[in-house]
Amino acid sequence: MDDLDAMFSDLLGEMDLLTQSLEQESASLPTTSTKKKKKEEEEEEEEEANFSIGFTDLNESLLELEDNDLDALMADLVADLSATEEKLAAEIEGLKVPSPTPLPSGLPAPPPKVLTSSSSDSPASPASSSFHTPTSSITSPLPPPPPQATKPTKEEIEAQLKADKIKLALEKLKEAKVKKLVVKVLMNDGSSKTLMVDERQTVREVLDNLFEKTHCDCSVAWSLFETNPELQLERSFEDHENLVEPLLAWTRDTENQILFKEWKQKYEVFKNPQTFYLWKKDKKTLKDINNKDKEILVQENFCGSSIIVPDLEGVLYLKEDGKKHWKQRLFQLRASGIYYVPKGKTKSSRDLICFLQLDNVNIYYGSDFKSKHKAPTDFCFVLKHPQIQKDSQYIKYLCCDDITSLNLWVTGIRIAKYGATLYNNFKAAEKKAVVDAAWTNRCTPSSSEQSTPSPTVKAKSLNQANGHATTIQNEPESKDFGNIPPPPPLLSSSSNILPPPPPDPAFPPPPPPDPAFPPPPPPDSAFHPPPPPAMDLPPPPPPPPEEDSIDAPPNFLPPPPPAVGSMLPPPPLSPYSGRSLPPPPPPSCFKGFNQSLPPPPPDPGFLPPPPPPQPLMTAGGVPPPPPPPPPPPPPAAASPTAAPRPSLRPVGSVKKMPPAPPKRTTPTLGGGGGGGGGDGGDLMSELMLAMQKKRGNN
Amino acid sequence: MAAWDLSITVEDLGPDAEPITISVTSDLHVGGVMARLVEKTQITRDWSDRALWWEQKQQWLLRTSWTLEKYGIHADARLLFTPQHKPLKLGLPNGITLKLLASFSSPVFSSVIGICKMLNIRRPEELSLLRPVEEKKKKKKDKDLTEEIYDLTEVPLTSGSRPCLYNGMPAHFADSPKMEAIYKMLSVTQPPPAPEVLAKQYRPSSVVDKAHINGRWLDSSRCLMQQGIQENDRLWLRFKYYTFYDIEPKYDVVRLTQLYEQARWAILLEDIDCTEEEMMLFGALQYHISKVSLSEPQMQISSPAMEDLELALQCLEVKMEGKSSSASELLENITAPELNDYLKIFRPKKLTLTPYKQYWFKFQDMVISSFKSKEESSGEPIQQINLKGCEVAPDVSLASQKFIIKLRIPAPEGMNEVHLRCENEQQYAQWMAACRLASKGKTLADSSFQSEIQSIHTFLAMQKTNSGTNSSAAAGDESINAYSLVSPRYHKKNKAKQLTPLILDACRNVAELSLTDAMLRFVQMWQALPDFGLSYVVVRFKGSRKDEVLGIAPNRLIRIDLGVGDVVQTWRYNNMKQWNVNWDIRQMAIEFEGNINIAFSCVTADCKIVHEFIGGYIFMSTRSREKSDTLNEDLFRKLTGGHEVH
Repeated sequence: MDDLDAMFSDLLGEMDLLTQSLEQESASLPTTSTKKKKKEEEEEEEEEANFSIGFTDLNESLLELEDNDLDALMADLVADLSATEEKLAAEIEGLKVPSPTPLPSGLPAPPPKVLTSSSSDSPASPASSSFHTPTSSITSPLPPPPPQATKPTKEEIEAQLKADKIKLALEKLKEAKVKKLVVKVLMNDGSSKTLMVDERQTVREVLDNLFEKTHCDCSVAWSLFETNPELQLERSFEDHENLVEPLLAWTRDTENQILFKEWKQKYEVFKNPQTFYLWKKDKKTLKDINNKDKEILVQENFCGSSIIVPDLEGVLYLKEDGKKHWKQRLFQLRASGIYYVPKGKTKSSRDLICFLQLDNVNIYYGSDFKSKHKAPTDFCFVLKHPQIQKDSQYIKYLCCDDITSLNLWVTGIRIAKYGATLYNNFKAAEKKAVVDAAWTNRCTPSSSEQSTPSPTVKAKSLNQANGHATTIQNEPESKDFGNIPPPPPLLSSSSNILPPPPPDPAFPPPPPPDPAFPPPPPPDSAFHPPPPPAMDLPPPPPPPPEEDSIDAPPNFLPPPPPAVGSMLPPPPLSPYSGRSLPPPPPPSCFKGFNQSLPPPPPDPGFLPPPPPPQPLMTAGGVPPPPPPPPPPPPPAAASPTAAPRPSLRPVGSVKKMPPAPPKRTTPTLGGGGGGGGGDGGDLMSELMLAMQKKRGNN
Repeated sequence: MAAWDLSITVEDLGPDAEPITISVTSDLHVGGVMARLVEKTQITRDWSDRALWWEQKQQWLLRTSWTLEKYGIHADARLLFTPQHKPLKLGLPNGITLKLLASFSSPVFSSVIGICKMLNIRRPEELSLLRPVEEKKKKKKDKDLTEEIYDLTEVPLTSGSRPCLYNGMPAHFADSPKMEAIYKMLSVTQPPPAPEVLAKQYRPSSVVDKAHINGRWLDSSRCLMQQGIQENDRLWLRFKYYTFYDIEPKYDVVRLTQLYEQARWAILLEDIDCTEEEMMLFGALQYHISKVSLSEPQMQISSPAMEDLELALQCLEVKMEGKSSSASELLENITAPELNDYLKIFRPKKLTLTPYKQYWFKFQDMVISSFKSKEESSGEPIQQINLKGCEVAPDVSLASQKFIIKLRIPAPEGMNEVHLRCENEQQYAQWMAACRLASKGKTLADSSFQSEIQSIHTFLAMQKTNSGTNSSAAAGDESINAYSLVSPRYHKKNKAKQLTPLILDACRNVAELSLTDAMLRFVQMWQALPDFGLSYVVVRFKGSRKDEVLGIAPNRLIRIDLGVGDVVQTWRYNNMKQWNVNWDIRQMAIEFEGNINIAFSCVTADCKIVHEFIGGYIFMSTRSREKSDTLNEDLFRKLTGGHEVH
């Protein structure tokens, strides 16, 4: 255990480093507009989910989604990149040293975001499985870096060891058996969102999550529905349920879906209790009831020492087991279950026959049962064990005369089944709705866009504001750097250093990333996720093989290394210095990061990716090769970089990206693992090719 | 002013003593009369609780500053100088009888407050006193022989607001072991009644029968003396208003226990109807409660210090669990207990006549795996059954040595039915307990495994005693007759050995409840019954020629047609504009919003009782947490008082 703990704290420390560096990077990104950032972040959020490996059943849809998301993301990133690159190029021209400075400022921006999302995910995931809030702690910021550059061989070995340990830790964590699913949720408008859900998450939490993503009003009526097309059933999950459990009951080949939609009946009983508790009264009395009386009704029935179930009684049609007949029976709802009055007997309690107790069944709406089951009406509900997914004699089909009666029974049964929980759910949902409304009101005045609704979003906007301020400051700084080689030198120095030693070369490329991602070394695990960003930076292709972390920076790196290499030989020191440099820029990035990060926490699910770790391991072996690539980039230098980006834009490459993402995530999980998986490499190499072509053209 | 002679009987001098005559004037105030009287007796003692009772007027002369003239007392007045607090035999909801001192001079409402204070029952406004149902003379003789009366008359009359607690009980109970024993009688549930006792008790068979009990409530705005209650008379203390406010098990040990007992008897004596399934669950809860209260005799009696300690211990436990869970979970899983044995399996779903087949079964986690034989158990199982979420039912007959566990395992296609047949009781208890836990998502490692096994054994023992001829005494305390747990109606319907598995089956959902939680659950289930909280009175509506029944509930009045037996009308209090009592013709008139007016006269109870019920419930609904600790007696009196007060 101690080992595990130690590993964990190490891991956490590395993650912290990563986040810090990212922050800095983001801070250093002056160019990107907040709007863009926001967009990116949003996309990142979604991406995080996508990255994780999904439920087998959902994989396909997931992949599709990822494509879309990735496309969008790539487009944005590429745009950013090209902008920054142009800037950089301009600056670089002015500078003898390629552009260590520009790179940090320019490059960090795009990659960091991506990286942040991915990296944050990866760290978050392991942490989440065991602990809830890993990201924030700042245990061992620097430690990670050392392994990286200075003494290649030793460091490498250490890194390898560390990777192994981390892998071990992750495996153990995996054993903690926290189940996570990637879930595709269909929205009202036909679009869909993909979420990572872990088995401890309640439907309420998932709904909150969706509120953030959809910017819908947070009315209490929003629900998650489960549909079963085969049985033509659907039901709303209750807010307190854990989402994962019912989903596990789905069969492999299921066509079941999850819908996110408003359901007016969800908490209607708390808004118009008279409809359910005074249903025997005439409609006019019910309509005229005043708010105070409603309140009293809710108090009476839900706030006493015992929950009172509406005394429903009425004739319903029951589909007889295995037959097509629907038989009328006089049913009664009691707290202890559903009963019916046997033929020729009175309604006295003692004569009632228990039709069903509610502990083991859920209630579903049936749709179009008139044609499917020859039901007398289409106002049908069904009671069945959640595990049952196909037609069976154990499913009870009931049919009401009209919609009013149907709503009465469905709500009544829910009250009988869930009792006080239902009321507590309502109060929680109401609170959320109120808070949200307050937020929107406050936020609307501000310039921030859609994001306003949820509190988290607010946090984001605030961060952004800060970010702006900082960015402005940073900008000058970065510019200065650009003018004044110092920062670059550091990077260059590191790169220089690295270049000399063979292994280093591989690492050297990372140095450039360092600015953006100082923590890279330890972060490796974290960095793996970054690979995606790397994708964005096609130029780096060569570097990618070397180290995943490097991947992102690689593009930029390539250019710097050459210059730096020649300029500054200082090997060991440089890496550190380089790292130190990166931090400054991060601030801004960090903010971006934070924004992106908040979402991840909910999706602790990231752990699942663990499987990938293995790839990482293999990647570890791979890294060495990368070193060679560094050299190629140098030629490209600043000017070429600008060109290559455009090449990256090509949709085709982007599309390829989607598949890759999952792999990347896996690497992240691996944490210790070497560079991105083979896929990442492939992408990178493709990107490289593209870049080289461009450069060649240039 | 002219002096005249006033003769007063002094009770303390004995029943045969002559009245003492003193010379008074009409402007002498009552305090002066008493002073002279005491002086004349020449006895020095504490006379402080004494007061003058005017027999002809059935009235206490409690205002000592009023003059005789103001009271209208003349020489012919028969006055009694007597203690205001007198002993009363008080039957509690749990069936035991206490002898205690109650105020005979204050309104019953206040007397009840005093009694509840002594017994440590919070929320006294929910209780009241009623005259007991007369027992037939024969029975009474029997009872007198056996009945024990617990004497609390030594308890000093406290005037403080709340008695200070010592060891969780009022200080006066801590004085002696005997007193402590009495407190235990109050705060611990009674064992289930013998089936014969249960069968002999009076059970109302109709709504009209149920209505009669409500004619027995005492008038809470008048004192006991005024209502003809005499020293050492027997009264019942019961929860009258079915709105149990703010039950806090920590402070409400006695209250909750008595409430549970009242609920239990209401169920057993069919005061309130329930379905068979509900009855079985009530039975299961009673069984569980009686079992747990035996095993934790030192129940809730704990001092604040002890509570702190307990809390600290719990925290510690949680911490340790938390620590160990991450680290030792793996280990635990590895060493998780398992069951291995030869059992016979049968699948009723297949329409074949294949008999039970024997396999080697292994129960681990929540999964049963089957192997051809013990030797092959290290290999791949022939089949695995995951029991999580399944339904488990027993099919046991001791006589034929049949021990079958019926499982219904949910699957996408429906329920798979599997029967496991065990060889003997021991094996059955273990596997049954394991299946029960697994169905609830718990493994054998769960702490409740052993207790589950134990309770299965107990039930098997019950079956033995029930089915065997009456040689059952050997079974000891653990055995409880199933007939003691359900109302007599089910005695005819089911044989005891049929009843036992039904109750056992219902037990699965309550087996882990603590004593307090089980009692609370029982009370809650009682409250959730559709007819809960209804107090019936036979009335005759204005303009109607037949008797009907008025049901008075905490939030509404219902009108029940005796012919149909159905609720024909409901009126809610919150729509009530006003209600009036015409004391001359004893008629109640109530006006609801929307111009609805009803008027009725009461047949089985005085209209004061009905008036008090309605006013009482309205009073109960005004209670709120903010002012929770002070009881607004004035308001209660205003709402329930009647003409004497208005």
